[in-house]
Amino acid sequence: MIEYLVFAAVFGLLLLGLHRKVIARVQMRPGPPVWQEILHALKFSFKSTWVPKTASATLYVGVVLVGIGIWSAALFVVLAGESILILFAIYMLHKVVEHGFGLSSGSPYGKFGGVRSVISAASEIPLFVTIAAIYLFTESLLLSDITAYQAVHGPFLLIAPPVAIAMYLVILSKLPYGPFSIVESKELVSGYKTEHFGVWRAGISVIDGLKTFVLLFAFVALFIGAVPFWAALVLMTIVLVSLSFVCAVSPMLSPFDSVTIQGLITGVMLAYAGYLWWVMP
Amino acid sequence: MKRTTITYGLAASAIVIAAASGLLAAALIPLWAAETAIVIAFPALVIFLGLWWRAPGGEEDIPFIGY
Repeated sequence: MIEYLVFAAVFGLLLLGLHRKVIARVQMRPGPPVWQEILHALKFSFKSTWVPKTASATLYVGVVLVGIGIWSAALFVVLAGESILILFAIYMLHKVVEHGFGLSSGSPYGKFGGVRSVISAASEIPLFVTIAAIYLFTESLLLSDITAYQAVHGPFLLIAPPVAIAMYLVILSKLPYGPFSIVESKELVSGYKTEHFGVWRAGISVIDGLKTFVLLFAFVALFIGAVPFWAALVLMTIVLVSLSFVCAVSPMLSPFDSVTIQGLITGVMLAYAGYLWWVMP
Repeated sequence: MKRTTITYGLAASAIVIAAASGLLAAALIPLWAAETAIVIAFPALVIFLGLWWRAPGGEEDIPFIGY
């Protein structure tokens, strides 16, 4: 099973490299090679590493371990077709990890990244509406039941497009260089990641790779259904490229604008879920 | 952290992962138990592996904390 984790981390990093490449080409730049994020992870793992004097050592190191652990668990949940409630609980734990990264180092850049992570919690609320709307159709939150439902009734992408759009925006808010990427924007150097260097940053790369893989894989399973593994990888790549186009042509919003727009999306999704609840037998 | 400690940590996490995979393959433990062991050991493996082959560590320092 370790091979699943290694594959997911490497493929996720490859997708993040492709993300940077697509953004660059849309913006008429050559961009880095597609495997740049994998090289970054390897490079950081060879660098000198210590814990800054200003850091809370336990939290500083602990959040890296917790971050890798929760996304490893999330991968197993998705592969086993378990409850999406567990998956999204893990997603919420990532918010705690981001906050921990930001506050543990003692650097103001990291701290601001951590604080922004908390105020951007609005981006997680559409997730709950996504879960509620899917439950109205399937009456189950097991991923295996949801894919079985789609095998009979067709993909949720066509049955309930607003729900898919909400999940799409949730993934967009977690990708780097996007309109909602306020937690690691350049005026904060690297945001909550700023003071995690060397091996700790290599750990963050593994977290990012696993997170990207799990979220895109979950999107394909939730809104397209059960497909062969190779087809899932192709679909994940297509979804990611579409997200990269959005990131390439949209400016990064200011923190309060970002939260306002995410709040508005949540309002629309709540109205849609209410409508579904009203019309469903 | 001492090199010996890092080597022990790396070996311990690798042994836990190998044992969990082996016991699962032999059907001696359920899937959830193997997954739990790997979820705990994999982060340690990643960090200890990095610490094991890293460049020599420097002195602790104070990050930029504002003007």
